[in-house]
Amino acid sequence: MTLEQSLRLAPVLAIAAPALAFALIALRLGIGHTPGERWTARLVALAFGVATLAIAGAASAMLVGGLTEVHVALGAWLEVADRALPFELVLDRLSVPFAGLAAGLVGLTGAFSARYLHRDRGFARFYLLLCLFGAGVELVLLGGSLELVFVGWELVGLTSALLIAFFDERPTPARHGLRAFVIYRVCDVGLLSAAVWLHHSAGGAGLDASERWAGVRVPAGALDATLVGALLLFAALGKSAQIPFGGWLPRAMEGPTPSSAVFYGAISIHLGPYLLLRAAPILERAPLAAGLVIAVGALTALHATFVGRVQTDVKSALAYASMTQVGLIFVEIGLGLPWLAIAHVVGHASLRTLQLLRAPSVLHDRGHLERAMGAELPRAGGHLERLVPARLQPWLYRLALERGYHDALVADRVLAPVVRWLRALDRLEERWIAWLEGRPAKVAREPERGEVVR
Amino acid sequence: MSAPRPSNERRSEREALAAALERARHLLPAQAPIRSFVHHNTLHAFEDLPFDEAVVLAAERFGAEPYELESAFAAHLASGRIDTGDLDAVLREAAIDDAPAWSGGPSRRALYELRLQHPLELPQGAALAWHLTEGDALSRFHPAVSEAARARILASAARALGRHAVDAPAALAALYAALAPHAPAAVARAPGPRPRDRVLAERGVDVDELVHPVLVRSCAAFVDQGVAYWSMPARARGLFPAFRALYAAPGGPPDPWLRGLGAELAALEGQAPEEVALDALRRLGVGPADLEPVVEGTLLALRGWAGMIAQLEARPDRAPVWRPPARLVDLLALALLLEARAVQHVSSSRAAPAVAASARRSEAPELVYEAFLLAQLAGIGPHELAPERARALVALVAELDGITRRRLWHRAYERHHRDRVLDALLAHVERGVPALARPWAQVLCCIDDRAESLRRHLEELDPSIETFGYAGFFGVSMAYRGLGEASARPLCPVAVRPRHLVVEEPIEEAHARRVAARRRWAGRLRHGAAVGSSSLVRGGVLAATVGMLGAIPLVGRVLFPRLTERLVHHAARATFGEPATRLRFARADDDEAIQDGLFGGFTVAEMADIVGALLGATGMGAALAPLVVVVGHGSSSLNNPHESAYDCGATGGGRGGPNARAFAAMANHEGVRAELARRGAPIPEGTWFVGAEHDTCRDSIEWLDADLVPPTLEAALERLAAQLERALALDAHERCRRFASAPLEMTPARAHAHVEARSADLGEPRPECGHATNAVCIVAPRARTRGLFLDRRAFLVSYEPAQDPDGAHLGALLAAVGPVSAGINLEYYFSFVDPEVYGAGTKLPHNITGLVGVMNGHASDLRTGLPWQMVEIHEPVRLSMIVEADPQKLERVLAAHPDLARLAGNGWMHLIAWCPDEGRMWRFERDGFVSHERARRDVVEVARSPELYRGRREHLECARVEAALGVGAR
Repeated sequence: MTLEQSLRLAPVLAIAAPALAFALIALRLGIGHTPGERWTARLVALAFGVATLAIAGAASAMLVGGLTEVHVALGAWLEVADRALPFELVLDRLSVPFAGLAAGLVGLTGAFSARYLHRDRGFARFYLLLCLFGAGVELVLLGGSLELVFVGWELVGLTSALLIAFFDERPTPARHGLRAFVIYRVCDVGLLSAAVWLHHSAGGAGLDASERWAGVRVPAGALDATLVGALLLFAALGKSAQIPFGGWLPRAMEGPTPSSAVFYGAISIHLGPYLLLRAAPILERAPLAAGLVIAVGALTALHATFVGRVQTDVKSALAYASMTQVGLIFVEIGLGLPWLAIAHVVGHASLRTLQLLRAPSVLHDRGHLERAMGAELPRAGGHLERLVPARLQPWLYRLALERGYHDALVADRVLAPVVRWLRALDRLEERWIAWLEGRPAKVAREPERGEVVR
Repeated sequence: MSAPRPSNERRSEREALAAALERARHLLPAQAPIRSFVHHNTLHAFEDLPFDEAVVLAAERFGAEPYELESAFAAHLASGRIDTGDLDAVLREAAIDDAPAWSGGPSRRALYELRLQHPLELPQGAALAWHLTEGDALSRFHPAVSEAARARILASAARALGRHAVDAPAALAALYAALAPHAPAAVARAPGPRPRDRVLAERGVDVDELVHPVLVRSCAAFVDQGVAYWSMPARARGLFPAFRALYAAPGGPPDPWLRGLGAELAALEGQAPEEVALDALRRLGVGPADLEPVVEGTLLALRGWAGMIAQLEARPDRAPVWRPPARLVDLLALALLLEARAVQHVSSSRAAPAVAASARRSEAPELVYEAFLLAQLAGIGPHELAPERARALVALVAELDGITRRRLWHRAYERHHRDRVLDALLAHVERGVPALARPWAQVLCCIDDRAESLRRHLEELDPSIETFGYAGFFGVSMAYRGLGEASARPLCPVAVRPRHLVVEEPIEEAHARRVAARRRWAGRLRHGAAVGSSSLVRGGVLAATVGMLGAIPLVGRVLFPRLTERLVHHAARATFGEPATRLRFARADDDEAIQDGLFGGFTVAEMADIVGALLGATGMGAALAPLVVVVGHGSSSLNNPHESAYDCGATGGGRGGPNARAFAAMANHEGVRAELARRGAPIPEGTWFVGAEHDTCRDSIEWLDADLVPPTLEAALERLAAQLERALALDAHERCRRFASAPLEMTPARAHAHVEARSADLGEPRPECGHATNAVCIVAPRARTRGLFLDRRAFLVSYEPAQDPDGAHLGALLAAVGPVSAGINLEYYFSFVDPEVYGAGTKLPHNITGLVGVMNGHASDLRTGLPWQMVEIHEPVRLSMIVEADPQKLERVLAAHPDLARLAGNGWMHLIAWCPDEGRMWRFERDGFVSHERARRDVVEVARSPELYRGRREHLECARVEAALGVGAR
C-alpha cells in the first residue's frame, strides 16, 4: 500500500470503526438479543484501538513524508448544477492531534467502564452511545466541510443528552438531559446558519488549504466574515458551556462518572475551541468576531472560576474548573495564539479526565493528604474574605451560589419561550389533524414557566 | 408581619411545633458524615414495634417496600429457594385454620397455600379491563391450572348452566359472573397532608422542585467540610441566620417565584426560626391538627439533608473538620418559608390551571379477578359458588393481600435458610469434632463474617492452629492518633465515648522528623496542584504546560491498576521512608492528667481489665499457646465514598489494626501480666502476643510490632506468617467466586492478584462484598463450628459456656455483639429490599458533597444507606443469633438486658438457644422459647473447602470440611 493510500484509509477507519461497532451493538439490541458485557467491551476496545492506531499511523506517515495537510476526497453527497457538497476528510496539524486524543480517551473510557458499569442494566446502551459519540467526534474532527462537521456535531449533542439521561428510572436525569439537548439545538442553529451563509457568500463551506492548517473558507466581504465568525462562536457556546449557556454543565454530572469525564472533562467540551480553530482565518479577517470570542471566553472564565469557588460538591467544582479553562482557551484563540490553545486543550483534557474519573476518591485522597501534611488542610478562601469588602461579601457569595443568576434568566427568557413556541406548534398540529380527522381537538395544558427546563 | 396574638396561644403553638419536630427527628436517617460509616438498623426508630408491623408502617411513612417484591418471591418459588414444606410450616405457625372455608369446600389453609404457591400477575385498572374485555382472561384457563381442576370446573359449570357439557369460555364466564357481584368498594387515595400535595393534585406542579434546589444548595454550603474554596459567610451563626444574611440583601435571584424574597427576609430581623415556621404554616393554611404530619412530611421530603442536619446537631463532634451550629428547626423554617412562597406563586399562576380530577372508580374488580384465578387453581366451579361462598372467597383473597403474602413468603424464605443452618450445626456436633491437640499458635480475629473463611482456611492448612472471634476493637476503647495524623479519632463501638488516648510515636525522633518534612513538602505540592488546577491562572498555566503529563497516570490507573498502585507505593516508600513506630498506651496509676477529655493512656489495672475480660470470655485464657496473633481488620479501595462502610464496625467504622496492636502490647506488658497473675488468671511466661491488620479487600496482612517477638518464637512466627499468607490466597480464591467479573477457574495465586487489583482500581464499584450475604451469628466455642463450612455468612463469637455458669460474660457479650451484628444485618436487609428509599441506589452517578455524603448529580437529596453494588448479592434474611446456652440462661440474660430483649422479642433478629450436648435448639418467640423441630438432612462432607465452592457462584449450604478437623490429608 502506498503512503497516499494508507493516508486515505486512516481517517475513514477512524470514523468507520466506531460507527461499525455502533451498528453491530445496535443490530443485536435491535433484534432483542442484548450482547454480553465481554463481547461489547472487547468490540468497543477494538474499534477505538483501530481508530487510535489509524490516526497514530497517519501522524507518523505525515511526519515521515513531510506532509502537513492531506485532503481525502471521497466523492460528493449531492451535486446540483454547478454546486456540490463534497465528501472530504482532512488530515492536518489540527485534526490529527485532536482526533488521536479523542480516539484514545474514548477508548480508555471504554476500558474503564467495562468494570465500572459491570452488571448495570444499561451496559450495552452505554457502549452503544459511546460508539456513536466516538464516530460523531471523529467526524467533527476529520470532516473536511462544515456540513460534515454538522452531522458529527449533532451526533455528539444527541449522545451527550442521552447519556446525561442514562439513569432513566429517575426523573431528574431525563430533565437535565432535555435541558442540555435544548441548549445544544438552540446553538446548533449557529453552525447550520454559518454553513448556509458561507455557501451564499463564499461559494461553499469546505475547508481550504492554508499554511497553518485547513481553514474555513473566508468570505470576501468583511461584514460576511464577521457574521460567519459570530455564528460559529454562537455554535461553540452550547457545546463548550460558555456564557450564557453554561448552566447545563453541572447538571450533566447526573450521568455515569466515565461519560461525565470523557464528555465534559475531555472531548465534547473542547469541540467549541476546535471549531473556532478551524475558523481561525475568519477570525483573523474579522477582528470584531475575534473580539467577541475573547469577550465571551474572558467573561466565562471569570464567571466560572468565581462560581466554582463556592461549589460544595466535587463534580460541580470540576465542571466549573473545566468551564474556566475552556474560557481561557477561547481567549487564546481570539488573541490569535492557536498553538498555545492546542497545547492547552490537550493538557487540560488529560488532566481533567483523570480528575473526573477519580472524583469519588476525594475522601480517600484527602485522608492521605492530611496524613502527609500532618495537619488538617489549610483553609482556602481566606484572601477572598480579606480582599472583598465585608458589605459586598454576602452579595457576591449569593451571586456565585446561584451560579451568576444567568441560569435562571436563560431558563426564563430563552428556553421557556422556545418551549412555548414548540408547544404552540404542537397545538397547531393537533388542531390541524383534528380537523382532518373530523374530531374535536384535545387541549393540552400550558406548561408552567420554567417547569420543563428546570 | 402578623397581628400580635395572645401570648399563651402562641406558646402552645410553639410547644406543638417543638413536639412535632422531636417526633419527626426520630424518623430521619441517622447517618453521620460518611467518613466514618457505622452500620445501624435503618428502622431503628421503629424498634419498639414488632418487625412485621414496623416494616409495614415505615413503608407507608417513607413510601418504601416492606419486603422483597412479589416478583422476587416468584423467582424464589421457581428456583426452590422457598419450597412447599416452608410454606406449610409458615402457615401452621401463622395459625391459619384447617377448617373448611365453607361447608364441603376446601380448607382455608389449602386455599392460602394454593395462593402462595402461585404468585400471579395481576393487571390493575385499565390493564385489567383490557384483559377481561379484549384479552383471553375469560376464554382460556390460566396456564397454571391443573387438568383435574379444569375438568372439575367444566363439570361444575355444566351443572350450573343445566347443560350436558360446556366449553372453557362458557365455564369461565359463568365463574366470573358468579364472583363479579361481590366486588368490594374501591378506596380512593387521599392526597398527603402537605400543602405541596394539595397543589400537586390540583395544579400538577410539584413545588418541591422549586424549593429543594435552594434548600440543597444552602444546606450543602452550610455543612461543607472543605470542598468549596470559599465557604458560606455568616454560617457560624446557623443555617437560617446565614441564609437570611445572604438573601435579605437586595438584588436577589431573578427566578419569578423568588421575587420579593429579600424584602420578606429583611422584615424577619430578629425573629426566631420557630416563629418563622409558624408564620409560614399559617400562611399555608395548616391548622393545628395537621401541624405534626406537615412538619414530618416537609422534613421527610428532603430526609437525607434533614437527617444530616439533625445528626450534626446531636453529635457535632462527628463532623470531620468544621462543626456547624446545626439546628433542625432552622431547616424547617427555611423549607416552610420557601414552600409558602412557591405554593402562592403556583396557585396564583395563570399558567398552571387546575387539573380536572380523574373520574373515580366505584368498584375494585381486581379482587374479583384474583378470586377468579384462585377458584380456577382450586378447581372451584360456578356451581359451588353460591353467593355467600363467592363472597367468602373474595373476602379470603382480600385478607391475603399483597403485604400479607409477602410477609408469609418472607418467613418461608428465612425459615428455609435458618432451618438448614440449625440442622447442619446439630448434625456437625453430633458427628463429632475431635478435640484439638495443644495448639502452637492461636489467632484472634474479629467476629466479622468475612473472617470466617480466613479462619477456616488457616485451620485447614494446619489444624493445630486455634482461632477465636471477638469484637474487632478487642475491648480497647480508645481515641487514637496515628503517626502524622492531625487529630485523634475514636476507635471503639459508636455507643462508647473513648476516655483514653493512644498515640503512635516514632522510635527515632530525628529520622521521623526528616520523613515528615519530606512528606509535608510533597503533600503541599499535591495539594497546591489540586487547588490550582481548579483556579483560573494557576490552572491555565498547569494545564498548558504540564497538563499532558496527566495522561501517564490516566493510562496507568485505567489500564494497569495493580501495577500502577505498586509503583506508586514503592516510589513513595523509596522517597520518604517509613519510620518505625511504637504505641504510647500506658500511663502511671497516679497520672490523672486529662487533655481534651482524654487520659494520656491506660493504667495497669485498666489494661488488666481489658486483657482479662477478653481472655475470660473467649475461653482463650484457659490454654494459651506460645504465639498469639491478634488480627484487626480494615479495607482499602479507591473511588469508593463508602470505603469506611467496609471497615470494622466494632471500631466505629475505622480500621482495627491499632486496636489489635494495642491489645497485644497490653497483654505483653509486664505490669499487666503481674496484675493478671495476682488476680489468678496468669498469662504463661512463654506466651507472646503479636498484632496484625488484615486488609479484607486486598487480602493482605500487615504485621505490627513483630520485631518485638522474643528470639525463641521467631521461627514460629515465620511459620505462622507463611501459613497466613497461604490462607489469605485461599481466602481471596473463595471470595472471587462471588465476583461475576472474576473468572471461575482461577488459581489461588491469581485470585490473590485479582483482589489486589480490585482494591487499586478506579473503575471498580465492587472492591469487595463487605457484609453482603451475612445471615447468622454463632456465639459458641470454636470447637462447635470448627470444620463447618459457613460460606462467609456467619459472625463467629467465641464464648466458653463452661467457664460462665451464671451468664455474666454472656450478657456483656450479647449486649455488645447483638445490636451491632443485627444492625449490620438489618441495614443490608433494608438497603436490599428498597435500594432507592432505604439504600443509596446505584453508585455510578454518586457525587461527594461537602465531604459529608453523596448526592446523585449536582443537587439531589443526600443518599443514605448502602449503595446497590454493595448489597447486590445479599439474601434479605434477619439474623439468626445462635447462642450456646440453655433457654433459662438466655432468659436471664434477656431480663437483664432490655435492649436485647426488645430486639429479640420484636423479631428484629431470631434468637436461638443451643444445647449441643443434648442436640437440641429452641427459637425465641414473643412468648418464650419454642423447641426447634429438627429435620434429618445430609450434610455434605469434603476434604477441603475449595472442593465445595470451586466453580460455583451461588449461596452454598453448610458442609463439613475434614482438613480443619485434623482428619483430612495434611
